[in-house]
Amino acid sequence: MAARAPQGARDKLAFLLALVPYLLDRERADVAEVAEHFSVSEAEVRQAVRLIAVSGVPGETDAYLPGDLFDIDWGAFEDDDEIVITHRVVINEPPRFSSREAAALLAGLQYLSALPSAGGHEVLDSVMTKLSRSASAEPSQLAVQSAGDADRILATVAAAVDAGLSVEFDYRTARGTSERRVVDPLRVDSVDSDWYLRAWDRRREAVRTFRVDRMSAVTQGSQAISTRPGDVAVPDALFSPSDQDTCVTVLVDVQILPFLGEYVDSVPDEVPAAGRVEIGLRLAHPDVVSRIAARFAGLMEVVDPVELRDEVRSWAQSALDAYETVPPSSDRAD
Amino acid sequence: MAARSPGIPAQERLFSLVLALLASEHGLSKSDILSTVQGYRQRYDSSGGNQSLERQFERDKDDLRELGIPIETTEPPGEQGNNQLLRYRIPRGEYELPTELTFTPEEMAVLSLAGTVWREGALSSQSQRALLKLRSLGAHTAQTPISYAPRVSIAEDSFAPLSSALDRKRLAEFRYLKPGRLDAEVRRVAPLALVQHHGRWHLYAHDASADAPRTFLLSRIVGPVRELTTAHTWPLDGAAAAALEGLDRLWERQEAVIVASEGSDARLRLGARAHADDDGTLRVHYTDGELLADELAGYGPDIVVHSPASLVDAVRLRLGRVRALHSAGAGSTQRPGAPAASEQRGDR
Repeated sequence: MAARAPQGARDKLAFLLALVPYLLDRERADVAEVAEHFSVSEAEVRQAVRLIAVSGVPGETDAYLPGDLFDIDWGAFEDDDEIVITHRVVINEPPRFSSREAAALLAGLQYLSALPSAGGHEVLDSVMTKLSRSASAEPSQLAVQSAGDADRILATVAAAVDAGLSVEFDYRTARGTSERRVVDPLRVDSVDSDWYLRAWDRRREAVRTFRVDRMSAVTQGSQAISTRPGDVAVPDALFSPSDQDTCVTVLVDVQILPFLGEYVDSVPDEVPAAGRVEIGLRLAHPDVVSRIAARFAGLMEVVDPVELRDEVRSWAQSALDAYETVPPSSDRAD
Repeated sequence: MAARSPGIPAQERLFSLVLALLASEHGLSKSDILSTVQGYRQRYDSSGGNQSLERQFERDKDDLRELGIPIETTEPPGEQGNNQLLRYRIPRGEYELPTELTFTPEEMAVLSLAGTVWREGALSSQSQRALLKLRSLGAHTAQTPISYAPRVSIAEDSFAPLSSALDRKRLAEFRYLKPGRLDAEVRRVAPLALVQHHGRWHLYAHDASADAPRTFLLSRIVGPVRELTTAHTWPLDGAAAAALEGLDRLWERQEAVIVASEGSDARLRLGARAHADDDGTLRVHYTDGELLADELAGYGPDIVVHSPASLVDAVRLRLGRVRALHSAGAGSTQRPGAPAASEQRGDR
């Protein structure tokens, strides 16, 4: 049996090689504290420590004699949940980053460069330089353009939170209505170039998700923040289903399925590799269906409800009508 | 320690291998490793026939390299070409993070956040491992006033195989659907960089038939990507930056003129990234006319596109398709996946 070590074993090795230098540096460490520092469970820490304590090098005798092995203060470990390495072998420092590890973090940093919390360009530049220099090979060529655009608004939000104050802004919903909102910010989410503010809406007394590009006239509010992260749960999903949602049955080309994301409500058990498939969408407002149908023009057809199908047609017709009044463009040669 | 039963966990064998290779000054031969290192020695047969153990060692080496652990092989002088005499070691200087490397709590905060950007696939586990190594340095992480949950998505199936070909410096082959064409054509390329620009993934590669660098949109790759066994020697240095610069230049050069009705969602959202003239006309820059047309068609009657003409045509074409598809009894006659039949230059 020469199976490739499962991914789990590789990750455990990475943890062991990171844990040893950390423990050596600390001299004495609490299992709980180590678990928190590395964001792993206490059981994983104990398992790793037990393995380290019996590991070492074959040594001159090839017999793994005690002097060739790590050792720990077993009493402190068993009785007090404390880790003290009493004998070390070979390892002093953590390993360098692989080219792909460095690249993954570097691309993540590029993406974040628009965030007000990123500590300014000096912090980012310094971190990126340090990372590139501490990889065991040239980082892979992977880059993500800065998420841009939202930084001004997010800076206002961050400053308000820093001052312990709520945030006020005009918000335009997908339904087309606009009103002033007063919120206690909880978290800022993003997906690619879209940014979202997750916040406690003070008038609605509920957690709401706001698209940053639909927010305008953003100002620091006058009221102190009363609902903080931890007081309420912020769901991971950006769009939580609501009773007022519109459910629509559509026929879509399977190639656009990955791009419909959280709109998708139901998909048949078996999806063909090519061709069209009937799926259910869940939308905050029926108008949204026209927009999606046009974004994937020709690849999505509304089936049910029939009235909505008619609405999509007249929506497209009125959009086309607007072009009948536009004088022919002068730059045909483009 | 007494010999144990052969059921030694993979992580113990890998950890012991790293320790043995790091400790050895002049390197260990394969038979040294198989006969003495914990996890191998229990399965070693001194009378020969250790092929499966040798294969295990080959795979373990791949695993270590995957983690960024450098393995050096040396041939004893006068014995070139004899695999059995190769000596393996991990050179400490190339293995260890430089001791002078430190991060401030603010820097740690930024790095931790950067590690959360990838939520799935290889990039996610790679950034988690990088964070492990960083935490090993023991630095504290500063708290930010508000928490962030940033995410870069990778919806395209072609990303993983292209990323693999990119890392191994191998040629890749895929079918690519140019806008305005009905059939995808096979492209053979040397991948040089993967970049996300304005939320879209692009492959920057040397195209074999054009014998020039080209930028491909991942969403236009049709079907599976095939990684060839042929390696390439095109330099990767600075390729990602060059790709982003090229896309930025294109973005700068192309401008759409759009009128959006007052107070509409389109006005608000396009306005956030456009330059508005005094009369409210929006000037929006873009890299790909077809993708912008997809987005603009979604605004329906809220906007009118004035120029360029190719964009006007592309938007009208989409709206016409939506209308046709939703006219009574249409649907069944529509050919799924039929691409836009508008003109488009280049490979984008």
